[in-house]
Amino acid sequence: MKPITAFSTTLLAGAMALTGVVQAADLVIAGRDGGYGDALQAGVDAYEAAHPGTDIELLKLPYGSLYEKLVIGMREGDSSFDLVMIDDTWAPEFMSNNWLAALNEDAVSQDFIPSLTDISRYPVGQGPLYSLPVVGNVAMFAYRSDLMDEPQSWDDVFRSAQNLKTNDRAGVVFRGTQGNPIVTGFLPMLWAYGGHIVDKDGNIALNSPATVEAIEAFVSLRDVAPTGVEVYNSGEVRDAIQQGKAAMAIEVWPSWVPSMDDPAVSQVVGQVNIVPPPGQVNESTPMLGVWQMGVSTHAEHADLAEDFLAFFTSADFQRQLTLEKGLPPTRTSVYLDDDVVAQYRWYPNQLNALRQGTARPRVQDWQQLESILGDYLQLALLGRLSAEQAAEQAHERMVASR
Amino acid sequence: MTRLLRPLGVTLAVLFFTLPTLWMLGTAFKPAAEYIGTSLVFWPSQPTFSHFIQLFDEGVLRRLFNTLVVSIGTTAVSLSVGFISAYALVRYRFPARLDHAFLLLVLLIKTLPPIVVAIPLYRVLNALNLLDSHLGLMLSYQVYTLPFCIWMLLSFVRQIPIDLEEAASLEGAGLVQRLLRVVVPLAAPGLVATLIFAMLLAWNEFLFALLFIQTPSQFTLPLYIATFTTENQTFWGPLMAIGALSSLPVLLLAGYLQKHLLRGFAMSPQ
Amino acid sequence: MFRSHWHPLLLLSPALVLLALLTLYPIGYSLMLAFTNTQYGGPMTFVGLDNFRDLFSDWFFNQATRNTIVFTLAASLTQVGLGLLLALLFHQPFRGRAWLLPLCIYPMMLSTLVCSSIWKAWLHYDFGWLNNFFDVLGIARVSWLSDPQTALAAIVLVDTWQWTPLAFLLLLAGLQAIPPDIEEAATLEGATSWQRFWHVRLPLVRAPLFLALLLRSIDAFKLFDKNYVLTGGGPAYSTETLSLLAYKQGFKFFHLGTASAIAVVMLIIALVLSLAYAWQVMRRPH
Repeated sequence: MKPITAFSTTLLAGAMALTGVVQAADLVIAGRDGGYGDALQAGVDAYEAAHPGTDIELLKLPYGSLYEKLVIGMREGDSSFDLVMIDDTWAPEFMSNNWLAALNEDAVSQDFIPSLTDISRYPVGQGPLYSLPVVGNVAMFAYRSDLMDEPQSWDDVFRSAQNLKTNDRAGVVFRGTQGNPIVTGFLPMLWAYGGHIVDKDGNIALNSPATVEAIEAFVSLRDVAPTGVEVYNSGEVRDAIQQGKAAMAIEVWPSWVPSMDDPAVSQVVGQVNIVPPPGQVNESTPMLGVWQMGVSTHAEHADLAEDFLAFFTSADFQRQLTLEKGLPPTRTSVYLDDDVVAQYRWYPNQLNALRQGTARPRVQDWQQLESILGDYLQLALLGRLSAEQAAEQAHERMVASR
Repeated sequence: MTRLLRPLGVTLAVLFFTLPTLWMLGTAFKPAAEYIGTSLVFWPSQPTFSHFIQLFDEGVLRRLFNTLVVSIGTTAVSLSVGFISAYALVRYRFPARLDHAFLLLVLLIKTLPPIVVAIPLYRVLNALNLLDSHLGLMLSYQVYTLPFCIWMLLSFVRQIPIDLEEAASLEGAGLVQRLLRVVVPLAAPGLVATLIFAMLLAWNEFLFALLFIQTPSQFTLPLYIATFTTENQTFWGPLMAIGALSSLPVLLLAGYLQKHLLRGFAMSPQ
Repeated sequence: MFRSHWHPLLLLSPALVLLALLTLYPIGYSLMLAFTNTQYGGPMTFVGLDNFRDLFSDWFFNQATRNTIVFTLAASLTQVGLGLLLALLFHQPFRGRAWLLPLCIYPMMLSTLVCSSIWKAWLHYDFGWLNNFFDVLGIARVSWLSDPQTALAAIVLVDTWQWTPLAFLLLLAGLQAIPPDIEEAATLEGATSWQRFWHVRLPLVRAPLFLALLLRSIDAFKLFDKNYVLTGGGPAYSTETLSLLAYKQGFKFFHLGTASAIAVVMLIIALVLSLAYAWQVMRRPH
């Protein structure tokens, strides 16, 4: 029996010796993981080096976890975070609930791309500034320039995909996972066909003939997509294009496209062109996916938070982050920088896309609308519903959800 | 026939359970350039320690320590509280089937999806001023581990013949002595199995750790593990490295304790 | 059976205090929310049974309910069956047993996220290990996760890989606790190995058997992370579960009313499912 007794003693001792000493940091930042986290970490390191004695804690979280944690913290009035990173689709909820403090307007340089600072305000483009854009993400379209010319319309996309599809290469790849993922790739297509989820007044407007056409076009892509696309998420899309398993990808993001030119992981170095998505009835309407940072209204270290944010979004540091970490900038001057363009050949296209970019609808229940559309879109993709049924039923469900 | 079946069965089982694990280990040492989906090759041609080095640079040890503290604390509480509860339920008669009512309540708690209790539990911990503390985590993990321990230990305690205890009782042993001298040794295999499982539950818990801990340096391992799968990319090397690394302590524990598991009745005091 | 009034109360009190402190408020709160139309942070409006009426008339919810029940039965029965087989294999000592046992229970030590990720790689249609292996064997590739017909079964496979070890360990502990003299007696009386299994071992491991079923089915019933990682609930809702639905409603849309209503339905189904086991386990021996 000795080992057991010894063990339980250890357990008890362990249980008693639990109080780890927590020292309060000068600034707590909650942000994303992955490449974004690396960039934030570089910012923290540089700021701490420039301001000796400052202790910054950086929390790096996956997408969903960050949202859950922030919303619950804000709802319960938790003051642990000073500076928070939010996706632009969360912005209406965060700003309208007064979870973010208005920033000092003097900090806003005209250098920021105007379409990006517009969605940092609430109401959009007019209200006070609640955040600064930190990642200039916009949904782009990728195609193999060694195989085809740039498609001019979504009809072109389908035709080229049919021609280029072989036994071990799909014509086109997209995110097919039900719920939110499938929608993101589809939205630029919906807009190109003239469809909308909500109209200018924020009312649901999905039951239009344009939507039906867009869904039909989207569903037709399944025949020229890889087997298994129904559970593809960005990771699989990225693998498919990088491994030469697909000729086009309808939705790629600047924050990760640099790896396509990295011979260590890509088999298509220099062979992929990154352009704004094609139009159809309407001109191309690139979709913004901007990460912003703002100061929590409950922040205990608001001044330091704002100072860090100014430093992190300064032209000099953004240029450095772009060159070293590949983080897509939000300032015009960085996009026009010679060294930057030399390293990322698609940046002129990206700047254009950002300037013309459209944000997803500024409604508070976007997460839910997106998810509803995603559920029906996938049912249509799998042939369980016709395009008309999907559009009609998704519309009704969205109306009922409000 | 049986002589052939056993090695065959064991081989199949070992293959089924270990091949994916082997792949995990291989991938942990695979340079990013060699990772192309999953080829049939298990071991990289140029193994690298870079993923492990990255983990240590990022402070995996601190998180390992946090996790260790929280799971040991959680298990200690659940195992002792669960054990005496199970003993009481088996050995004493309760009026009006109160014991059954209690067990059903415990079952109900175990059935609730953690998502539903998370927000109210946040408020409970907040009221107790236990948010952002390891003690708060240990307490909240009881929601998972205590019902589990009670149900598990119940069946193990029930298997223990009452005669030995009655004999001890006649010799004048009180409740505490009976528990420590007779019941604990006889229930050892069950206690060991329960301990391993409870430890595991706490070791790998994600949701409550995410919501109830605010300070990054207090975080446990599962949250760190989650950062290696982003929506754009899975960082296979570090993910598999941390997967292997974080399972080591529990594996060592299980390896050490399995002796007790396999000794079975040989442990009964003569 | 001992008689004492204060002993059982004393022994149970720590558990009672802990559980009351930690769960009375959460459970009461969720039960109440289930009958309200509450957006997190918003006002609480009592809506009677509306949430439940909406749920039961909803195709997505019914689909999730069906999947959850199918998954629970398939996963828990497979795992306990396999676990019993394994326990019988490992019950008698053989060379290498001490080494092979930890290998076989290793999957359960892994974080679910790591486990799901491994299988996400293995089940990938183009790059996955399983399909590559099938190529070598000359078997046609399988759309494991992307075919609504096979997706749920693929997730049962992953869950079985991770959690059969739990059933295995429980049953092994049960077998090891059978006093050797009982088995010896049976052997001396000329019982064949089948008879020994059926008449001696099985009745004696009845309790761990039901316990394993109970624990695994409750856990399988709450399936959330594997389908979240592997399929997102798709394709076409074929792997959507009640927990995933409750998660979306509760933590993505913060409709606490609907999320709680789903939880209440889960609770009721789970109680019905587990009452049978519970009755078996709680029944006093003899």
